[in-house]
Amino acid sequence: MSNEADGMADLHWMFDMLHHIDVGLVVLDSKYRVKLWNNFMENHSGVSSSIAKEQSLLTLYPELDTGWLHQKLDNVFALKTPIFISWEQRPHFFPFKSYRPITGMANKMYQNVAIRPISSPDGSIKNICLVVYDVTDIATNKMALSAANHKLRRLSQALSK
Amino acid sequence: MSNALNMARIKKRVIMSTRVLICDDSKIARKQLARILPTDWDVEVEFAEDGQEAMDILSSSDFDILFLDLNMPVKDGYETLEALQSFEQAPAVIVVSGDVQPKAIQRVRDMGAIAFHKKPASAEELRSLLISLKLFSVDSDDLQSKVVAEQQTAAEQFTLNECLQEISNIAMGRAASVLAEMLNVFIKLPVPTVNILEVSELQMALDYSVKKDSCSAVSQGYVGSGIAFETLLIFSDSSFPNMAKLLGVTDTITRELETELLMDVSSVLVGPFMAAIGKQLNIDFSHSHPLLLGQHVKIADLINEKKATWKRTLAVEIVYEVENYQISCDLIMLFTEDSVPTLENLLSFLVEEDE
Repeated sequence: MSNEADGMADLHWMFDMLHHIDVGLVVLDSKYRVKLWNNFMENHSGVSSSIAKEQSLLTLYPELDTGWLHQKLDNVFALKTPIFISWEQRPHFFPFKSYRPITGMANKMYQNVAIRPISSPDGSIKNICLVVYDVTDIATNKMALSAANHKLRRLSQALSK
Repeated sequence: MSNALNMARIKKRVIMSTRVLICDDSKIARKQLARILPTDWDVEVEFAEDGQEAMDILSSSDFDILFLDLNMPVKDGYETLEALQSFEQAPAVIVVSGDVQPKAIQRVRDMGAIAFHKKPASAEELRSLLISLKLFSVDSDDLQSKVVAEQQTAAEQFTLNECLQEISNIAMGRAASVLAEMLNVFIKLPVPTVNILEVSELQMALDYSVKKDSCSAVSQGYVGSGIAFETLLIFSDSSFPNMAKLLGVTDTITRELETELLMDVSSVLVGPFMAAIGKQLNIDFSHSHPLLLGQHVKIADLINEKKATWKRTLAVEIVYEVENYQISCDLIMLFTEDSVPTLENLLSFLVEEDE
């Protein structure tokens, strides 16, 4: 009995942690229906978990590039291997606002997204998980650096003429 | 060759033992296969290090069964199968390879191999394969079950390079199979090279494989159980148009699209490769998100000799090529120097445990 209670307690803190970790977590089934939508996703999107659940990701975000997304998700299901999406190829996977609207350099949140297969006890892949990382600071720094380098190059070219 | 013929051939030699030739460029793979042959099977085993050596041995004496690897230097498995077609007394060929692409399996069958088995095989799997092929039967007359002739030569030492080459070989086959499935193509697999390199040597090695072209690269870091390494996937920029064609992309190639192609191919090649390495080493590695290291840059800018904080690295290099498309990419695993002793230790266990 106490074991069971311990198990419940473990599950509780584990779930609490997943829910409040500062990384977006979305679990989808093979029909792209949302099975988990954590606190990060709720707060940044303004869509509560109870509304998101059981809805298709594409119903929630009709502006997502459907063909593109299907191909990515289907590859993860079929190939059973994670697929990574970098902010450099798709800066804003989800249309979220930047975390720091006042002092931040960007209006929108730049994201890295990993799509991972989740294996069931029998080894088959019935669900996949989207892990959404906020990389706004990295992206803005890199873009600023690259812009500065570009400017320096142009200045040095102008000087040498 | 039909099973009946195989059986007849073996019956003919009822007094003599079955003669088996194992052809693999990896010493570990040869020993491992010899060790897992059924212990109650009366066999005489010989070894060849590549297809050419196998052909030389086969032309001077008859063998019943040839276990053949596919990726080998000098003469690979396909070339060997082809050469065997002109043999009158060709042995029954069982291909044992890490290359599990469906097209590879089909190809070797078309070329006359009677069976295909994925590497590494276990004793039970091999036993049931041999029984199903009627090459070996449990109650085979009452030949006195052979006492395991060679005492386990436990002192047999494998170098770190040999071990690493073999596990990379297996992992490479798995990764190619996933990519081949996604793209429906055949991926040509090379023999992985393993070297300890200084910074400047690494640059030279990379320069050589990318030639004069500019390149783009994706890096991903891995760490687990005291082993740390980076995987670099380097594409020659001239591969992009063909890569886009292969992935069915018709849009004009922009920088974003190139990044997309890079990330996709890197996910699909590196992910399964690392999963197979991790499985063999029994380590669940943590890994970083892949990082776009550079686009349209010179190799020298990727790995800057002056800025490098490391002196030497253990490098495993694999050059993947897609058949009929001019696409080649370099997958390089770079281990930190302090990972080497741990890796050595782990791999020595791995070899001993193989039964």
